[in-house]
Amino acid sequence: MSAKNTWKLHRWSTILLLPLIVYLFIKIIHLSTLPYHLILSELSNLWGVGYILIFTVLGLVHMNTGVHEILDDYVHSDVVKRILNVIISIFFLLILIFVCLSLLLIFMG
Amino acid sequence: MVQFNLPDNSKLTDGDYYKSEKSNGNTKKFKIYRWSPDDEKNPRMDTYEVDLDDCGPMVLDAVMKIKSEIDTSLTFRRSCREGICGSCAMNIDGTNTLACTKAISDVKGDIKIYPLPHMPVIKDLVTNLKTLYKQLKSIKPWLMNKKQNANDTENIQSRNDREKLDGLYECILCACCSTSCPSYWWNSDKYLGPAVLLQSYRWLQDSRDEERKERLKELDDTFKVYRCHTIMNCTQACPKGLNPAKAIAGIKQMIAQQ
Repeated sequence: MSAKNTWKLHRWSTILLLPLIVYLFIKIIHLSTLPYHLILSELSNLWGVGYILIFTVLGLVHMNTGVHEILDDYVHSDVVKRILNVIISIFFLLILIFVCLSLLLIFMG
Repeated sequence: MVQFNLPDNSKLTDGDYYKSEKSNGNTKKFKIYRWSPDDEKNPRMDTYEVDLDDCGPMVLDAVMKIKSEIDTSLTFRRSCREGICGSCAMNIDGTNTLACTKAISDVKGDIKIYPLPHMPVIKDLVTNLKTLYKQLKSIKPWLMNKKQNANDTENIQSRNDREKLDGLYECILCACCSTSCPSYWWNSDKYLGPAVLLQSYRWLQDSRDEERKERLKELDDTFKVYRCHTIMNCTQACPKGLNPAKAIAGIKQMIAQQ
């Protein structure tokens, strides 16, 4: 991806994440007042699953571009940078897999 | 990887103390960084007492007085002594600025003077700006206009177009901004830095220039522009009151719109 597009992606993901984070805070406060079975039903509806998936993907994209910026800033060795990139990509992939598995478990009850 | 430890022989030590002979109470201490490549010694901070009753009002006046009357071995650059040439850029009282426009009275207590930070020191307060000039050359800081060359006629610019250059053309390339930028400290070999990017924006904004697309294409690089993280040290440091951070934001906007 070109430097311009990476920069755009980072800015757009920031803008899109802002309302999602506000919604997340409101939702957490709301969920904290509900009993367990109602929390599960709230999370397992289509909107709940969709929100978590969008938030996770956007968050990971934002984190990935952000971490790459930090690596470009401070890591000058190409070899070290490549190794760190692989480790970070695996870490983000694991997060995505865990989120998907959690949603599947909630969805299936 | 970023180097966290200092190289050998770089630890700053206390240097000599030069007491004012004609002291009548109105003196100020100038602590100045000294290092010479001619010996193997560590850099040191020499202290000079300067009689303010017999000295001009600016830091450069005091530094020149020290060189001519106290210690002739002190090395620094200077030329115009009125904020036009940018030669006397140094770190005074923790801020990169021009010694000729910084008043002694603006600094409370002792005045500490260092060379511009994170630049290779040639001697004392003189730094090597070779990389910066090379980077400046890379952005082609001149008007590229084929029509003008072919017709050899006047290239008229509207008043509005000319106004777009205000706040850009005044840059004197003193390097105060670039050497105050942490991003430039870490990646000075690849990141162009605020001084050069301000110059670049000056030519991008020039209505007479015909190579805007090419210039932007050259700048669309992970390192050349995008190492700027809007830290704003450059704007705070600029002794001419310019805003390099805004110019960099302008470049990013132009690249994004292309």
